[in-house]
Amino acid sequence: MPIRLSGGATVLAGYFLLLQLAPASVAGQSAGANRAQSWEGHPHLDGVWQAIGTAHWDLLDHPARPGHPGLGALGAMPPGQGVVVGGEIPYKPEALEQKRKNFESRMTADPEAKCYMPGVPRATYLPYPFQIIQGDQKIMIVYGFAEASRTIHMDKAKPEPAPIDSWMGRSHGRWEKDTLVVEAAGFNGEAWLDRSGNYASAALRVVEHYMPRGPDVLMYEATLEDPTVFTRPWTIRMPLYRRLDEGARVLEFKCVEFSEDLLYGHLRKKPTR
Amino acid sequence: MTTRAGVFAFAAALASVAGGADLARAADGELRQVYITASSPLEGVKWYVQHMKCEAIADRRDTARCGEVELVFLVQPTRGSTQGTGVNHISFSFPDLTAKMKELEKVGVQGSGVRLQRFPDGSMIRDVPNLFKLGFIFDPWGTRIELVEDADTLGFHHVHLSAPNPTATLAWYRDRFGGKPARLKGQLDGLLFGKVWLLTSPQSEGVPASTEGRAIDHLAFVVKSMDQAATDLRRQRVTFLVEPEVPKGGRTPAKRAFIAGPDRVKLAVVETGFAGVESRLASAAVAAAREPYAVPRTPWGEPNLQGVWTGNSAQGIPLERPTSLGDVKALTPEEAEARRERGTLGSIWGYEREWRDTTLGYVKTAPSTQVAMVVDPPNGRIPPLTEEGRRRLEAARRQAAGDEQGVGPIRLPEGPEDLSPYVRCITRGLPGMMIPTVYNNGLQIAQGPGFVTIQKEMIHETRVIPTRPRQHVGPGLTLWLGDPQGRWEGDTLVIETTNFNGRAPFLGSSGGLKLTERYTRISPTALEYRFTVDDPAVWTKHWTGMFTFDRDDDQYELVEYACHEGNYGMSNILSGARAREKAPGTGAK
Repeated sequence: MPIRLSGGATVLAGYFLLLQLAPASVAGQSAGANRAQSWEGHPHLDGVWQAIGTAHWDLLDHPARPGHPGLGALGAMPPGQGVVVGGEIPYKPEALEQKRKNFESRMTADPEAKCYMPGVPRATYLPYPFQIIQGDQKIMIVYGFAEASRTIHMDKAKPEPAPIDSWMGRSHGRWEKDTLVVEAAGFNGEAWLDRSGNYASAALRVVEHYMPRGPDVLMYEATLEDPTVFTRPWTIRMPLYRRLDEGARVLEFKCVEFSEDLLYGHLRKKPTR
Repeated sequence: MTTRAGVFAFAAALASVAGGADLARAADGELRQVYITASSPLEGVKWYVQHMKCEAIADRRDTARCGEVELVFLVQPTRGSTQGTGVNHISFSFPDLTAKMKELEKVGVQGSGVRLQRFPDGSMIRDVPNLFKLGFIFDPWGTRIELVEDADTLGFHHVHLSAPNPTATLAWYRDRFGGKPARLKGQLDGLLFGKVWLLTSPQSEGVPASTEGRAIDHLAFVVKSMDQAATDLRRQRVTFLVEPEVPKGGRTPAKRAFIAGPDRVKLAVVETGFAGVESRLASAAVAAAREPYAVPRTPWGEPNLQGVWTGNSAQGIPLERPTSLGDVKALTPEEAEARRERGTLGSIWGYEREWRDTTLGYVKTAPSTQVAMVVDPPNGRIPPLTEEGRRRLEAARRQAAGDEQGVGPIRLPEGPEDLSPYVRCITRGLPGMMIPTVYNNGLQIAQGPGFVTIQKEMIHETRVIPTRPRQHVGPGLTLWLGDPQGRWEGDTLVIETTNFNGRAPFLGSSGGLKLTERYTRISPTALEYRFTVDDPAVWTKHWTGMFTFDRDDDQYELVEYACHEGNYGMSNILSGARAREKAPGTGAK
């Protein structure tokens, strides 16, 4: 049976206890019910989660800002408190200049506007729900936006290099007590970190911590290390909330068609851009 | 071609090695077989018969005879072209190279997979002074072939090695197997085995990669007595990879051994009369039918379907039974091979079989012998369309015609909306996204308690299927891939999906489609997939298709198919359409 050994005897004991004493509570529960522990004795992370905040607009403290003029107040950026520990992203000088350029061209250059996959950690705090499916070999995270998803390999003895660079990278997970720790690398350097042009390169390595704070709250931490862009590793921290709405699910958000005018409008028979 | 200059100094060096080394006597061997990795032995033989004037051999479906040399086609996972290994290419000689090249150029990659390797100036032929005219092509499986115009030796001409130290390599072969040191046209040092030349050029950079699993997997030397040859070779400290034996499936009682050649070239030593090995790829589905199988459980007690699967063996099964096949129950393995090869030939992927087989693992399992996917109705034909269905199918076909210029009437897309959701990288819809295509057929299934995720590599789409009851979304919420509800029926995962938006039609299917899928593991390596299409607005009766996915956990990993992110095709199609509108006289609207 492919039970990972990282938790040692306590994991196995917990697992067998569940099997023997409370099979109904494992196999027979409805999907929406809260369980303190998963089948394997680890915290129960599976379910639909969402970040509530303005990190998707700007990871740092920010005042309200105008959005796309055509959208009136609908497109405006609401004010928000930052999620960066220490309140500063330690850009190298030339990288800060790039960030500034990104900000200026964000209406058209932001990969999110083009319906490109959001990358890590941005996928976590997009303003949409995502679902964790907690299995014995893989933990899947499925984000509705741009059909992005991650396979977190829980069954590899040690991290394997990514076969190719990609938007969502390659993720390896392990449990440290009650915390799911995920190391992600192998990114293509195309993704941004928010709608304000914060960014990283293909050298990015992310270490994420998913820390339960009760059945319906996870504290999420991501440490970003990228020596080509930043002078030191830095960390963002925010809570993730379980979506308790009846029948909550991640709906496909196939956004391609909403990006096509931005991307191909100039190639229409009647150009729109 | 950059390597010719280096060979003139060989003769003297070879002589000195020969004179200086007091080696045991050479085994009396003749270079007589070349083993080529191909996705289909039948197609391999056919290709060399058609283009290189080789002959098929009765009772040896995997072998073509080319003069003194036999080409034997091995079906195995391939690791790519001959280039970069110690066996760079083989060579055939034709009396009129210019005519031959013209003929092959006409055949082209779409005809039967002839790939020309042009010189940097675009030409196909070089006339090397004092040598002969020559040019290079590839067979469909990545074997590099030099074509020469050498009237002295027509037909199979030579095997060309690549070595960091060509002199030492030639000496190795001469000392172990004999062969007559000679100079081809007084220019190139080599060894002659009968009429077959063994030549060597300096490796251009690095060290050669192992030939094992490459387009030329190994060469074979034929010896009269295996016992004597083995004794001679052992005295020369040759490493035996496989001891002399009559191999399993050997067609004759002749023995074979494998030894390590220089420059990581794998060599076989075979006894006179060796006629290859009878072997076929295993078919997961056929093996499954023979033995009962208990589907494993996840730790939380649900049937375990997890792993990476591919649709490669099912690729090419037509949806409907071709009328030409009458009521035959299954194709023969030969017919199935031919169907799979034809399926990727004549399309733009035709010349990429080498790529297909290296990256996609097509050759790991036998191609399916299934006649058609439709299993209900039993006649294998989709039930008649309704009036509405006919309209919808016609509209879907018109849209597809806009995708591929040259298929159907030219209709220039005015914008992205005129192209299909597949070309736009939105979705292939359901059940379309489950059906194998030529490439990126990966399917990853992962489970957690109460949920199954089904991820398809093509386009990259992930479905999250609840296996415990939950309320369907309301009628106002429609989706490209619908709203799924799963359940376990014994060992089978059953998924019913409704709430389609009807914009990614499968043969004209509508938003009213109710799709029922059934996933059943029928063996450790086979996952049977059935889909029932129930769409009364389009078809007068529901119908069911079936095929099998193969497990490929060991090697296959889904890559991130960032389809929309890299959709250069979209820009190219649209800018091409705009250019065409401006060009006078194209007749396009």
